Amino acid sequence: MPLVTAYHRPSTLDEALDLLSSPERVALGGGTTLNADREPSDLEAVDLQSLGLDAITDAGDGLVRIGATATLDAVRRCELLPDSLRELARLEQPSTLRTLATVGGLVARTSAESLLLAGLLAHDTRVELAGPAPDCSLAELFAAGLSRGSLITAVTVDPSGSTATARTGRTPADVPIVAAYGRRIEGFVAMALTGVGVHPVLVDVHDPTAGLEPAGDFRGSREYRLHLAGTLTARVMQELYP
Amino acid sequence: MTSDVTFELNGAPATVAVEPHHTLREALRRLGMFSVHYGSESGETGAAAILYDGRLASSDVILAASAHGHRVTTVESLNVSPELHPVQTAFVAVGAFQSGYSAGAMVLGTLALLDESPDPSEAEIRDMLSGILDRETAYVKPVEAVKRAAAVMRGEETEPFAPLVLEPLTDGYRPAPPGAGGKVPEAPQSVPRLVPSREVPDMAVVGKPEVKVDAVRLAKGNPAFTDDIEPRGMLYAKVLRSPHAHARILSIDDSKARAVDGVHAVLHYGNTPRVKYASGGQSWPNPHPYDQVSFDDRVRHVGDRVAAAAAETIEAAEEAVRLIEVTYEVLPAVFDERFAMDPDAPKVHDEDDTTHICDPQRNLVHHIAAKRGDVDGNLAAAPHSFEQTFRVHQVQQCPIEPHISMAWLDSDERMVVRTATQVPFHTRRMLAPLIDMEIKDIRVIKPRIGGGFGAKQEMLIEDIVAHLAIVTRRPVRLELDRAEEFYGSRTRHPQTITYRTAVDDDGTLLAQDMRIIGNTGPYGTHGFTVQIVSGLRGLTSYNAASKRFECHVVYTNIPVPGAYRGYGAPQAEFALEAHMEDIARALDLDPIEFKRRNWIKVGDEMDIAPHLGERAVAEEELDEYPKVMSSGIEECVAQGMREVDWDRRNDESWKAPADRPNIRRGLGFAFCMHGTAIPFLDMGGCSIKLNDDGSFNMLIGATDLGTGADTVIGQIAAEVLGVPLDDIKVYSSDTDMTPFDTGAYASSTTYISGTAALRAAEAVRERLKARAAMLLDVDEPCTIELRDRRAYAADGRSVTLEEIALDSLHWQEQEQIMGTASHVSPDCPPPFAAQFAEVEVDVDTGQVTVTKLVMAVDCGVAINPVTASGQVEGGMIQALGYAHCEEIVLDDGGRMVNPSFGPYKIYRADEMPDTVVYLVQTMEDSGPFGAKAVAEIPKDGVAPAVRNAILDATGVAINDLPFTPERVWAALQEAAG
Repeated sequence: MPLVTAYHRPSTLDEALDLLSSPERVALGGGTTLNADREPSDLEAVDLQSLGLDAITDAGDGLVRIGATATLDAVRRCELLPDSLRELARLEQPSTLRTLATVGGLVARTSAESLLLAGLLAHDTRVELAGPAPDCSLAELFAAGLSRGSLITAVTVDPSGSTATARTGRTPADVPIVAAYGRRIEGFVAMALTGVGVHPVLVDVHDPTAGLEPAGDFRGSREYRLHLAGTLTARVMQELYP
Repeated sequence: MTSDVTFELNGAPATVAVEPHHTLREALRRLGMFSVHYGSESGETGAAAILYDGRLASSDVILAASAHGHRVTTVESLNVSPELHPVQTAFVAVGAFQSGYSAGAMVLGTLALLDESPDPSEAEIRDMLSGILDRETAYVKPVEAVKRAAAVMRGEETEPFAPLVLEPLTDGYRPAPPGAGGKVPEAPQSVPRLVPSREVPDMAVVGKPEVKVDAVRLAKGNPAFTDDIEPRGMLYAKVLRSPHAHARILSIDDSKARAVDGVHAVLHYGNTPRVKYASGGQSWPNPHPYDQVSFDDRVRHVGDRVAAAAAETIEAAEEAVRLIEVTYEVLPAVFDERFAMDPDAPKVHDEDDTTHICDPQRNLVHHIAAKRGDVDGNLAAAPHSFEQTFRVHQVQQCPIEPHISMAWLDSDERMVVRTATQVPFHTRRMLAPLIDMEIKDIRVIKPRIGGGFGAKQEMLIEDIVAHLAIVTRRPVRLELDRAEEFYGSRTRHPQTITYRTAVDDDGTLLAQDMRIIGNTGPYGTHGFTVQIVSGLRGLTSYNAASKRFECHVVYTNIPVPGAYRGYGAPQAEFALEAHMEDIARALDLDPIEFKRRNWIKVGDEMDIAPHLGERAVAEEELDEYPKVMSSGIEECVAQGMREVDWDRRNDESWKAPADRPNIRRGLGFAFCMHGTAIPFLDMGGCSIKLNDDGSFNMLIGATDLGTGADTVIGQIAAEVLGVPLDDIKVYSSDTDMTPFDTGAYASSTTYISGTAALRAAEAVRERLKARAAMLLDVDEPCTIELRDRRAYAADGRSVTLEEIALDSLHWQEQEQIMGTASHVSPDCPPPFAAQFAEVEVDVDTGQVTVTKLVMAVDCGVAINPVTASGQVEGGMIQALGYAHCEEIVLDDGGRMVNPSFGPYKIYRADEMPDTVVYLVQTMEDSGPFGAKAVAEIPKDGVAPAVRNAILDATGVAINDLPFTPERVWAALQEAAG
């Protein structure tokens, strides 16, 4: 794990932002990423647990607001959210880590393999930020990255629509090599894929591999991932339009 | 910067001073919560899981400072009385703990789950367990334990956990008649199906599902493992490892490392004696070559040792190794065994002080050959001949407890090594020359071990802590981190295996020719013996008029292969059972019928065996060959076929379900045969003494890795002495205290150490009878019988064992009644098994889902059917990982790219296939109460059964492991043209 040289637990957002303005300080959510990092590097941890950002609430207009320090386990349990997203939260981490891992940490990590991030992408998720950067869509955050000094405080999700998932992994609970998550609403389908870019991406359901340049690895070559992108997208479409 | 952190620990406030980087796991252990164990830094093993504000969470990834103000619960919270909590009792009752390394996490997870869901579904239970990786049980019995705990907590009555006893389907020798069997017996999959043999008498303790003798300590999370004691003044060690696959060390500058505050020693080739050795934990004399030294001026794989530091804190030791400046001359490397013997391949060992390398210029460590009959002639003349090549890959044992050792000089200045080892006596002997001490001045203590699976059949790190303890004169502890465990410990040997087989028109084998290129990595260690076992297993299962084995064992620069449960057999049996399957299909024969025609049967000679082995007779024909004396394979096949509904292979509506057009289903079978101990070599000792109250202390050198060996051996002694198991107090193992034992490997413990216990108990029994005869005034002690803690005369009068003990220890003609015995066997009775697999193949993506595994195994008499079935369940799932998803992946420079769980995928609880175990009894007269081995055979048949099931489903044969989606997809694409 990294060598944490100092620990801070701010109690207000302003205090947190002030602490995070220094480059050696890193926001600490649940710790499942930061504390598991095997590359030793000195840093100071800014623990966000006392900021009151863990609520999941009805945000009106049919939207659900998930606080940044809400755990994946809280998402899994939340009845405001559709079963499909709750299941993705369950699949994202095993039982002993999802009780710690936070939604804010997940979003900040922008993992290419995160099925829950793909789900959030398909659900028109917007990201609330404190600090210099304005709120933005999840897709915009993926494109621009999280600017220094900014802090994810919540995400807002549109839970509506019918959904379907298809994925391929080595075993049933493996992190998928490629996965597709589709959300159908009012004749439109938002299709998000994992495992085909540096972060989950929204694709054109009619040409799902267009513009994709996946990096191959030992679990799946570039060609194989492109094949899966097409196959799994087609499966999701078939389920959405039986 | 130290600060005080306060949280609620098990209901009371606790304050601990921590550094900012300290994890909650570290803090809890400092507070004496020894149930919280290290499994990895990233928390996915769950060995350090606790309840954090009531929810199961891995304390590895929680900063201790983050826990300030929170509520923390460990399993110690339940330990308020000598009795177990009902949840702990449930786990014990069904045999859910093997090593028990993650016992606390499982119990806590159950408490949290039941608090929320008093009647949880199996899916909920498996989801709760998804964060606790268990390399031992296949989660079968832990799931059952949670169900049982839930029932108890709801106030329901539960039945004692016991096997389901079944009627045999065969006469024991011939195949089941058509239509035999009827319905599949119904029982939870955790319940072993037991098919008794009429030859086996009913016994009081043997054959019964006794609770493990170590159950309480495991369930309570009591300090039992290597890391659970901390000698005063202990230093922490860290190893600097090579970043290069092959390099010469031109210089080492350790001055900055030594200057780090708190550092006491830095060792490397420049200040450590160069003593050659082989690290494999094997009997004296270790097979050559002795190609290792504690620290070398050459590194031969990424992760090889370069130096080690000892310091007051682990952080200081880590800082020290970071500051060691090493100048390398990077050398070319070779990784693939198929190219290692090429003339231009880099030479892995060109030093002049390693002898007994067969041909160092070709990286050829050993050339092994054995032959019977005219193989070439039979191949040339046979009406049918077949040749196939198979490639098997490199995987790691993955014990959740990594290697850990600590060493110190005791008050007599003897070296004490407390270590997680499967081979304490070998370790003592092998360590002595390296540290220039005599064997008599070394004591090796094997505490509880958190799994080994062969990785700990190695003198791996004990020399490092011993060297550092000598230099610093302080206790020194070294624990490998998870990445080091992957690339710095031991793995399974990759091999390239080629079979050529000649077959007569009627399906009779005429010749089998097996050639292996075995990859032993940069060091010989187990390279010789593993390949021998491959030959033994690969050429013994089937009878043939002629057989030939040729093996080239080569050096490469991959992480070091060593012993891994199965020890060469899984590789060989994958190739063999795949090859036989394909021959049957090519000849249009039923695979089971074809194999049955040729498989070895009772009375058949195991004719290649004497020509292979550490003490083999290589060339000359023998007058007599060892024979199979017991086999329950026909019953195993019959039970397994019924369980998987084998006839579905012919049901197209099942194989290609109409509602899932991308899915093809298939069933596969593999015939399995293993060995039981190494004849004339494996030796175990046992000592038993009587106590005042009629109980017994039993000292054994055998090494229980979580297998239940202590329990099983205790049951054997209890049966002989006529007492319940609880009256046998088992202690293992400590080289100062217990008799010699070669260690836990080669499926030897029950058979060898168990027989030693049987004989020691018989010696004690004779004295008990003699003393009873005195007390009862009986002339003939042989008429006395021991049962129910009493000695009975023929006329029904009796005395208690306590009365005998008090009389013999305190009253008349005093003596310590005790017995000591040892055992070595000339025999190696094979267990047999029928392995079945059911799969679904997604033909569009190549994803294989294994939906069911069934193993019906003849292990002779299962001394404890619950622990035996646990061995089979756990072994099958390890084997499934080998077949399906586990692989060590190296980049072009030899660096492992996936040295953590997740990228290195092992099965977790919420993705398991159904797993059913049948125990088919036979009476093996050479074993204690009829027992043969059971620990390793579950590793042998899964890969070929899955492979053959994929073949059945798709018509595509895949000859490389593992069956990852892209490999299967590519094979399907190729077959489709």
